[in-house]
Amino acid sequence: MAFWIELLISGLVAGLVIGLSALSITLVFGIARFPNAATGDTMTVGAYGALLGHRATNSLLVGGLTGAIAGAIVGFLGYWFIFRKLAQRSNVALLVASIGLAFVLRAILGVSFGHSQQVFQLPLVRPWRIGDVPVHPNDLVLAGACATILAIVFAILHLTPIGRRMRAVADDPALARVSGISPSSVMTVLWLLAGAVSASAGIVAGIKTVVSPEMGWDLLLPAFAAAIVGGIGSPVGAVVAGLLIGVVQEMATPFVGFTYKIALSFLLMLVVLLVRPRGLFGKLEGAR
Amino acid sequence: MKLALRDISVRFGGFKAVDGISLAIEPGTLVGIIGPNGAGKSTLFSMVTGFLPHGEGVVSLGEADISRDTPFGRARRGMVRTFQVPREFAHLTVRENLMAAAPGQSGENLIDLFFRPGKVRNEEDAIRREVEETIDFLKLRAVADVSAGRLSGGQKKLLELGRVLMTKPKLILLDEPFAGVNPVLIEELSGHIRALNQRGIGFVIIEHDLSALSRLVSVLHVMDQGKLLASGAPAEVLARKDVREAYLGGAA
Ligand SMILES: Nc1ncnc2c1ncn2[C@@H]1O[C@H](COP(=O)(O)OP(=O)(O)O)[C@@H](O)[C@H]1O
Ligand SMILES: [Mg+2]
Repeated sequence: MAFWIELLISGLVAGLVIGLSALSITLVFGIARFPNAATGDTMTVGAYGALLGHRATNSLLVGGLTGAIAGAIVGFLGYWFIFRKLAQRSNVALLVASIGLAFVLRAILGVSFGHSQQVFQLPLVRPWRIGDVPVHPNDLVLAGACATILAIVFAILHLTPIGRRMRAVADDPALARVSGISPSSVMTVLWLLAGAVSASAGIVAGIKTVVSPEMGWDLLLPAFAAAIVGGIGSPVGAVVAGLLIGVVQEMATPFVGFTYKIALSFLLMLVVLLVRPRGLFGKLEGAR
Repeated sequence: MKLALRDISVRFGGFKAVDGISLAIEPGTLVGIIGPNGAGKSTLFSMVTGFLPHGEGVVSLGEADISRDTPFGRARRGMVRTFQVPREFAHLTVRENLMAAAPGQSGENLIDLFFRPGKVRNEEDAIRREVEETIDFLKLRAVADVSAGRLSGGQKKLLELGRVLMTKPKLILLDEPFAGVNPVLIEELSGHIRALNQRGIGFVIIEHDLSALSRLVSVLHVMDQGKLLASGAPAEVLARKDVREAYLGGAA
């Protein structure tokens, strides 16, 4: 039993990484309307940013903030120099551009930091025992940080003027423009937010495992799977589906082995697409 | 603000949906546009509000040539439109739909949002007061917290009017505001339009309900096959033989 609870906990932590990256994908898809393949490498930027910040200050909080800010900057620069110029083009053009940006980011990271794997040097802390279950304090800290990030994102979306306008653009971009809603301020905030959220996912992944230039790209597919399972464009759906996929993958590892657990997220995605094409929390098509 | 159109044309492929329209809308007037389906009326609105970058001709508002302005820029100058098939931000509540359209929100800038929350809050309070007035004006109180996607067709028409009002417009372009609206609501909407016009807001109204429209507007333009067929006082224009033929397909 304790074994399963342990798997559940590590599934939830993995799920937070998937959920945060899926949240970034779904925000961009809902508002800028294309699947952003640079999400994975923005995660990597966040992980390296946090690694540097942590090494310099020995504070995980400072490291995390550094990484999140680095991600926000990359998100904004990608918008300003690439996606803004292609705004009138098809979403295939935007997807291809984002794949290009992904490769560029990875190359820059590879050249700057080398391809060897790096780890966060964290003091070893003995896990607490709750009954038979070992609980790592670091996991709790990470979960708390993720919860805070989610709370901030949802507060911005639902409680602020810019969030209202972001949701308006997600509903009907053309109507937003004729209603005097500035596309550039909505897009600026979207990309800062999407970059910081992807970076946070990368930071958590980096702390839990290792940091390497390829890490984000490897995490991209489960993130897309979660965004689709949750219902593309639905922030709540992305987070819930990310947690679901994380837990399913971990709990299934004893049965299918480590190598095949990734395939499970796609199995889950296929099942959801077949049974409920708009995803778990998908917006109703034709509601507008 | 005077709206002047010069030689406006819009092509879809080889087909000219709007074909060399020139007309001027005097500030603060109530003007109607009629014409058979497919005459190009809605396309003219889309062109004027900046939605058809491939359209030709010059659009000027007041002194300014706005032909190259973005749709957003034109809205900020005070010219806004509604849609023939009403559009709304479906997942926002009626109240949020109205709030989203209010201009001058420094809360859309993260720096102000986090570092000048007092200023943002004051603006939000002012916008909220205005929204509540608009909700009362349009009698939308009962559905204020309902997702706009769930409203009835008539309620959506009211919401469209409310949304454009929130942008503080000087000129409103209404595309078939009475279509699918019951006679009582048509009277009510007409009353709103008159009241707003009295406050100085100009209207251009595309409408098929000729009797309701004639009672409202002082000038009527008739479009047919992308061209301007006639302009003038409603009674005169509607009495013209060519207009009746174009409109009623030659039946009269
Ligand atoms: N996006 C479009 N692509 C191609 N043809 C269009 C488009 N929009 C309108 N049209 C055509 O242009 C003509 C004028 O349409 P419209 O402006 O909607 O007429 P009205 O509003 O007067 O009924 C119609 O023949 C219509 O089919
Ligand atoms: Mg029309």
